Amino acid sequence: MKSFKWLVLLIASVLVLGACSGGNNASKSKDGKIQISFINGFTGGDGAYMKKITDGFNASQDKYEIVESQEKDHYTKYKSGDYDMVVIHGNNLETYRLDGMIQEVGPLYEKAGLKESDFHQAGMDLAKLDGKLYGFPIDIHPLTMFYNKEFTQEAPKTYEDLKKLNADLQAKNKDLYALGVPSSGLVEFYMLMIAAQNGVDLQDGNALNFAQPEYADALMTFHDMVWKDKVSPAGLGLDGEFKTFMKEADSGKAVQSAIALTGPWYYAAAKEKFGDSLGVAPIPQIGKQQAAYGNAHMLAVSASVEDEEVKEGIAEFAKYMFTPENLINWADGGQAPVHLKTIEKVTAEKDKYQIAYQNSLQFDSYVAPPQVYQYGEQIRYMNEKVFSKLVGTENLTADQLMKELESATKKAQQIAETQPK
Amino acid sequence: MHKGTSTKTWAILMVSPFVLCFILFWLAPMLLGLWVSLHNWNLSSGNNGFVGLQNYVDILTPGSLYNEAFMLALKNTLVFVVISVPPLVIIALGLALVLDNLPTRLKPVFRTIYFVSYSISVTAVSAIFLWLFNENGGFINNLLVSIGILDQPINWLSEQPYAWLSILIATVWWTIGFNMMLFINALDEVDPSLYEAADLDGANAFRKFIYITLPQIKNVAFFIIIMTVIASFNLYGQSRLITAGGPEQSTTTLTMGIQNTVFGMNQLGIGSSMAILMGIIMLLVTAAQYFMSYRKKEVN
Repeated sequence: MKSFKWLVLLIASVLVLGACSGGNNASKSKDGKIQISFINGFTGGDGAYMKKITDGFNASQDKYEIVESQEKDHYTKYKSGDYDMVVIHGNNLETYRLDGMIQEVGPLYEKAGLKESDFHQAGMDLAKLDGKLYGFPIDIHPLTMFYNKEFTQEAPKTYEDLKKLNADLQAKNKDLYALGVPSSGLVEFYMLMIAAQNGVDLQDGNALNFAQPEYADALMTFHDMVWKDKVSPAGLGLDGEFKTFMKEADSGKAVQSAIALTGPWYYAAAKEKFGDSLGVAPIPQIGKQQAAYGNAHMLAVSASVEDEEVKEGIAEFAKYMFTPENLINWADGGQAPVHLKTIEKVTAEKDKYQIAYQNSLQFDSYVAPPQVYQYGEQIRYMNEKVFSKLVGTENLTADQLMKELESATKKAQQIAETQPK
Repeated sequence: MHKGTSTKTWAILMVSPFVLCFILFWLAPMLLGLWVSLHNWNLSSGNNGFVGLQNYVDILTPGSLYNEAFMLALKNTLVFVVISVPPLVIIALGLALVLDNLPTRLKPVFRTIYFVSYSISVTAVSAIFLWLFNENGGFINNLLVSIGILDQPINWLSEQPYAWLSILIATVWWTIGFNMMLFINALDEVDPSLYEAADLDGANAFRKFIYITLPQIKNVAFFIIIMTVIASFNLYGQSRLITAGGPEQSTTTLTMGIQNTVFGMNQLGIGSSMAILMGIIMLLVTAAQYFMSYRKKEVN
């Protein structure tokens, strides 16, 4: 009898806790507005600019309200929570589609009065999977070049320019280099950029295939940058490309670089330090052809959204967001929108929106990440192991690199096999 | 009768908060974890069915993706346990002995100074040590180059064994206060008359430490060693924030591996199995320590 009482108490506790989970019906605010939950990972400086857009929408609305959450681990929260809208990176969209966590948004484009032709093709290539639209492309944030005008007035355009700049700097000061190649951090951008600039397609079915001789040759460019041509100091760690750019050369104790191939999100910090001496430009051609690589932010809709009123609200938000006067806030935050009319506005005020403008120049040569299941996991071994070995081992041979690329490919294939059937 | 019932009710009431917390925060999650580990559970698509011990087989089958991830992380974690436990125990004991011999008025001051680092969050600790050990112009490199100990800066965070050394120094600085406090309490419990007797017999400080102090604090020391081994097995924040698991995944620990399996690969079932295996390994290590200590006690 006593055991039974305890059991009842336990079950009751579980039921009470279980009742804390939410449902999927449209929820309403106190003033009767339909609430649309929106989660994103904009916890850095860009968060305030997205907030301007959502606040602006809320102020303009009698019927809908966006409830925005900016979370560092927003993907984890999205998977386990109950959100209507989410910002997904371009390289993750296929994974979320295959996992059944987002829905096709073609009909919402129509409701919002948006057309594919309203966006740059680079954005559309990211948003379209298997011939259907799965997101609204907000921006592309490609690998970006910052340069210090105190060391070079002109942005280097080729690898030869980099070598010449390096020789000039080294002649002045042994602690000055053309650029810094990091051992970890943004290295995925470096590896995909060099693949794109050498015309190497890494996608093989639903897996990434790194074990290609031409890719090994392309990757060796970074090894040569450090150990042969010495345009970069050796032993730069996490985010070394930006940290070196921001350093002050200090005889034998600290090295500095004149340019940084890095993420546009560092713009505010670099601008604060260098002011008008900071130059921004498209990345140079290091491989055989000009090509840019980077990631993108896509506005996607949860697969669990079925309520037509919520869908109407999402369409209304998209209609509001994708207008030059509202999306320009995003450009103000240092991002490069792919909405064509906003690009026009950015171009008209290119000094004000310096980084958005310079990055929009890279859209025409932009190569999208391969659309494979669990892209981030498929490339993890390359990010965490191969690249640091590549730039950290002076006597690395092409054969040794190829063995690592084979290991990376094997792991990528194993990850691809976990794709839902 | 009435009094008896009342006492029993009170006893249940008093113990129920603990029992409830025990069930909610330990037993239920552990049983849930065990249950999840027997299923093909994907974080995105949910429970895809009972698979028995297949997740464990996948982790323990050489050549499989999960086996390589688990074994690498296990090896790295064991390296950290081996290099971190001795300094975390010995330095803590040393500090406790020093503090124990300080004038009474100074004891609380230094006790607080050494313990205060333990109250700082791992994020702040990692930020401090990232700055100190920065390869390019970091404080430690600048200092060592300036005073002529080094010709060239060391890549503290992107080259082994320096990466482990950086994490170890950060961990010792951060957590040493806790072990030290436990040792101080143990030292306070030692009967002063034992030292007085030893003084009369002409024992020096070293002999007093070996023959009086150590045997008297043995039980606490054993407890500290077990707790430190468990804490070192759970290394996460420092290696995540200071070295990001690098260089070349050499500081990727079990907890990081499990976290990545669950939140990166979405494999909640496999991740739970890894966590259970990790728990079993920790249990075995602790049991081995206990057994060795117990056996030694019996022999003595």
